[in-house]
Amino acid sequence: MSRPNNLPDYENPPLSEVVLGVQFVPPPGYQQIYSRDVWELFKNDFSKVKEVEALPPSFETFGLPKNRRSDIKLHTGASHDRFWFLSGDETELIQFQQDRLLHNWRKLKDGSNPYPRFENILPKFESELLILEEYFSSNFSSNELEINQCELTYVNQIALEDTSQPFDKWIGIVNIDSLEFENISITTQKLLTRDDEPYGRLTCVCNSGFDQKMEPIIDLRLTVRGAPIKTNIEESLLFLQQGRNLIVNSFDEITTEFAHKKWGRK
Amino acid sequence: MLGETTTAFSDQEIQSYSTVSYLPENRERILINEPGHNWWPDIEERLKHLINLDNGWDGYNAEPVSFLNASFALRVLETICTINTPAPQIVPGTGGDLQIEWHTDTTEIELHVIAPYRVEAWICSPETGTDGKELILTNNFIEVVRALSKMMEHLIDEAAAA
Repeated sequence: MSRPNNLPDYENPPLSEVVLGVQFVPPPGYQQIYSRDVWELFKNDFSKVKEVEALPPSFETFGLPKNRRSDIKLHTGASHDRFWFLSGDETELIQFQQDRLLHNWRKLKDGSNPYPRFENILPKFESELLILEEYFSSNFSSNELEINQCELTYVNQIALEDTSQPFDKWIGIVNIDSLEFENISITTQKLLTRDDEPYGRLTCVCNSGFDQKMEPIIDLRLTVRGAPIKTNIEESLLFLQQGRNLIVNSFDEITTEFAHKKWGRK
Repeated sequence: MLGETTTAFSDQEIQSYSTVSYLPENRERILINEPGHNWWPDIEERLKHLINLDNGWDGYNAEPVSFLNASFALRVLETICTINTPAPQIVPGTGGDLQIEWHTDTTEIELHVIAPYRVEAWICSPETGTDGKELILTNNFIEVVRALSKMMEHLIDEAAAA
């Protein structure tokens, strides 16, 4: 897989985390007790395990503008945890629950691990999906993963040089420096359409804050989420590739020329 | 927050700058609840009840409503309902599916949630004629939004005429 030629590229992007994920219909008969078997599938490269709260089902639907999100959490009684299978150096992570598989990459705090690039992460995720599909089909009455939602998130933590630095020096959508905002918190959503029909959303969340060293940052997250054309792995990977192009182009449009120079735009 | 986000690492690093029943077979067509009523807690309870039904809850082999279908139905309701939308009826199917329904004197709207992104809709209103209109829906519910809006207009007209 090669990188599209026309895609903006940076020598040193402020990328701190990338998440590729799918949501699928749990195979009939699968129960949490089998999660140990799933860990065994990936244990060679992901030797550490952690249990965290499960992600609720997520669907992109279209009708009214998003005027409310319910706080309702449905419970089924028994519930499946989400498992983090972490690599030895904890820079990569597989997240698994009965209806989700995700792959995360993160930059270490000292920045010593360069971003391996999407072209290298996607084949890993493809391999993990195929391994899981094979496990489900061998052990449960499931032919192939029935994927109903894909998502891709890029987290950028943009280090500000000092707290007095205007946000619009870095972020183009905040061209309101004269108002001297103390902080910003912006969420935008763009409808993604295919043949004039909506299929997903590009969500951009931009917050000012501090990192763990109490250095001022802008946290800029871009997420593409939606349903693939077909529910199989092949179409899901295509969705993720197209999502990546959308995110990178949007990031380039949102951020300023000053920022591009700092990050070594090619 | 952890249970809502797929990022695993970054959330721990940024610190905010500032604050920063099923119904009997011959169910009665009941006039829906008054508009503006906050019925979300009732819907929550109803869906929780339906996903916790026992297998064979109908005396035969019916399954409880699936968690995925209930979650999707909730998301659909969020997408199509305004604060003034009357409460729907939620009716379980026998195969893990469910129906979301509105019935008024002028309008009937039924959304059969078979699976996530697989909904069969039936709308019968003065606009559609007595035969009604069938729709196969996946993720775009704008037609249902329009039908609900028209249903509300008819309710207001009826109230004004009374």
